[in-house]
Amino acid sequence: MDANLVAAQLFSGLTSAMTLFLVASGLSLIFGVVNVFNFAHGSFYLLGAYFAYQMVSVTGLPFWPGILLAAVGAGIAGVVMEYVFLRRIYGRGGEAGFQILLTYSFILILDDVVKMIWGTDYKSIERPESLSAPFTLGEISVPRYDLVVILVGILVAAGMWWIIRKTRFGRNLRAISDNRDMASCLGVNVPLTLSLVFGLATALGGLSGALSAPTRTVTPGAGIEVIIGSLIVVVIGGLGNFWGAFVGALIIGEVTAFGILFLPQWAILFSYAVMALVLVFRPEGLLARKGSA
Amino acid sequence: MRSKGMKWQAMATIGLALVLGLADVALAAEKIVIGGMYPMTGRAGRYGIDSVAAAEIAADEINAKGGVNGRMIDLIFTDDKSNTTYAVKVANRYIKEDKVNFLMGVVSSAVGLAVTEVSKENKVIFVGTDHASTALTMEKFQPYYFRVSNNTYQSAAAAALYATDKKEWKKYYVIGPDYEYGHRTWEDFWMLLGKKRTDVTMVGQAWPKLYEPDYTPYITAILNAKPDVLVTSFWGGDTVAFIKQALPYKLFDKMKMFNYDGGGNYEVLEALPNTLPKGLVLSARHHNNWPDTKENKEYVKKFKAKTGRYPSYAASGAYAGVYFIAEGVRQAGTAEDADKLVAVMEKMKFKLPEDPDGFTSYMRPIDHQIVQMQAIGETVPNNSFPPATMMLGNWKIYKAEDIIPSVEEIEAARKAVKK
Repeated sequence: MDANLVAAQLFSGLTSAMTLFLVASGLSLIFGVVNVFNFAHGSFYLLGAYFAYQMVSVTGLPFWPGILLAAVGAGIAGVVMEYVFLRRIYGRGGEAGFQILLTYSFILILDDVVKMIWGTDYKSIERPESLSAPFTLGEISVPRYDLVVILVGILVAAGMWWIIRKTRFGRNLRAISDNRDMASCLGVNVPLTLSLVFGLATALGGLSGALSAPTRTVTPGAGIEVIIGSLIVVVIGGLGNFWGAFVGALIIGEVTAFGILFLPQWAILFSYAVMALVLVFRPEGLLARKGSA
Repeated sequence: MRSKGMKWQAMATIGLALVLGLADVALAAEKIVIGGMYPMTGRAGRYGIDSVAAAEIAADEINAKGGVNGRMIDLIFTDDKSNTTYAVKVANRYIKEDKVNFLMGVVSSAVGLAVTEVSKENKVIFVGTDHASTALTMEKFQPYYFRVSNNTYQSAAAAALYATDKKEWKKYYVIGPDYEYGHRTWEDFWMLLGKKRTDVTMVGQAWPKLYEPDYTPYITAILNAKPDVLVTSFWGGDTVAFIKQALPYKLFDKMKMFNYDGGGNYEVLEALPNTLPKGLVLSARHHNNWPDTKENKEYVKKFKAKTGRYPSYAASGAYAGVYFIAEGVRQAGTAEDADKLVAVMEKMKFKLPEDPDGFTSYMRPIDHQIVQMQAIGETVPNNSFPPATMMLGNWKIYKAEDIIPSVEEIEAARKAVKK
């Protein structure tokens, strides 16, 4: 086994990790700040993928503006879902049950909406010309597009760090995550912040879907596989913890990649094994601290 | 006076309703009712929607010619949600409330295995149109079940013959979804190939979960094993995702990809315009451009005219199912006497769009499995079926009799289960 192969596998693990991170970080953020477990989060990945298809393949926009608009579109859909539906159940007795029913039903609704608009056939968008050629490591070709996905993931992580730590919005967000009532008393516009957080998080999911559209199958139901992966990631990293999602995604991406390289017939096992170990030895998640959104 | 008038009016209305009701009952008794179950949502939704469209085309054609022995075909459809428990409820409702004469459908083999039990219990014929697991006609066979599309054994047997002739294919790697279909498709092929060739080896295997979105880590592992051939037992979107992701790794320059059961389905060819590589070796249960016969061309044209797109292979199964039922009823002279129908249907020959000239599909009494030719092709540039830019060509055709399990094999499989 040569070094090039290991490097290539490292890249492919990183690419999976970044795609997962974009979805899982939003899931975690919503849980940490809005206090909602959004089962439908994978559906925003799905919407992002279809919006990207619509923008790039149907409307004919250039690739990157199309991807960006797709992410924004998913974010807007997220704000609508929060404002029109979720807001009505905050603070209700037995809220958790309502949350599960409401967000789960959105998986089914959004899947059907996608089917009604775009049909059931598989959609594709092509990678931008400049990124379609691979670069080579010895005998192994590595897709150039993957490097861009990794780069985008890192940039988003850095950007989110800046927003959460350095901006007024980020301060409000952390305050709400610590104590919603107190933040409200001190003049933070809680409803507005919650809507924005929801929009930001769903836009990240949408970005993940849009970035994946050239390499994965765009089909109704694609959101469900992603939400399962993201759940594993947030359990490992610590639910509600933004950086936990980053670390969790890296672990799952690389463990799966190298697991497959050495024992491909057992591949499905690895991510679940890691999750089981974390649940046994550190059930709160690797990076869990209180109020660490 | 006024109240008396109203009373009469009411009685007349009730009388009218009764007469209309009777008329409806009389009409219903004359119809041949087929209870169709297909997934219309989720990953297999396309297959269900295509199947419904094709079944309607077949029923319209038959009804336009005056039906079967003067009886019209009436199709009812329900989304089976690819869910076994739910499909069993639907099948029971069809039998007890809708009084269907036949059950038809299902895409998932798991659902098929559940519905065949309902069919057996109630002695209502179940015509399987798309699910491919060999178990339904082999070890789980029951006399009221018929299948009108090729099963995985047939496509694997044709594939084994194809691979036998490829002397340069020596090292095999297999990747497929980790459930019954994925494994069985491979195992039948590998067992049959092993009987013909002793110089082939398996250099690796990988079983990602069904609907896995990301195959890139597997692709590096496959490249590292350097096989001559990569057998994939993916279907639908999983085939599409795998090809998309393997392309930038130049995997298809380094080995042949062989997907002999579902890989050549039109939905796959159509999903990758401009990017699908040349020279992939694929097959499917029906091809839009093979056989090159008037019947097949007309079938494809009718489907296109009705839906605006070309059919995936599931459609041809449903089309065959309706014709199979119609022909059975015509010959048996009944849609109600299941045993009489079985006796006729299990020996029936009937011409289908997927039959090349000089061949007619037929049913085998031993397993109620349709016997059909199988064609395996390579992707070649072809713009006649847009949006696809590649279709299959360079066909190798396999005779129907060469790719079915022998009577002894079937009996052995059934005996092994009973023990």
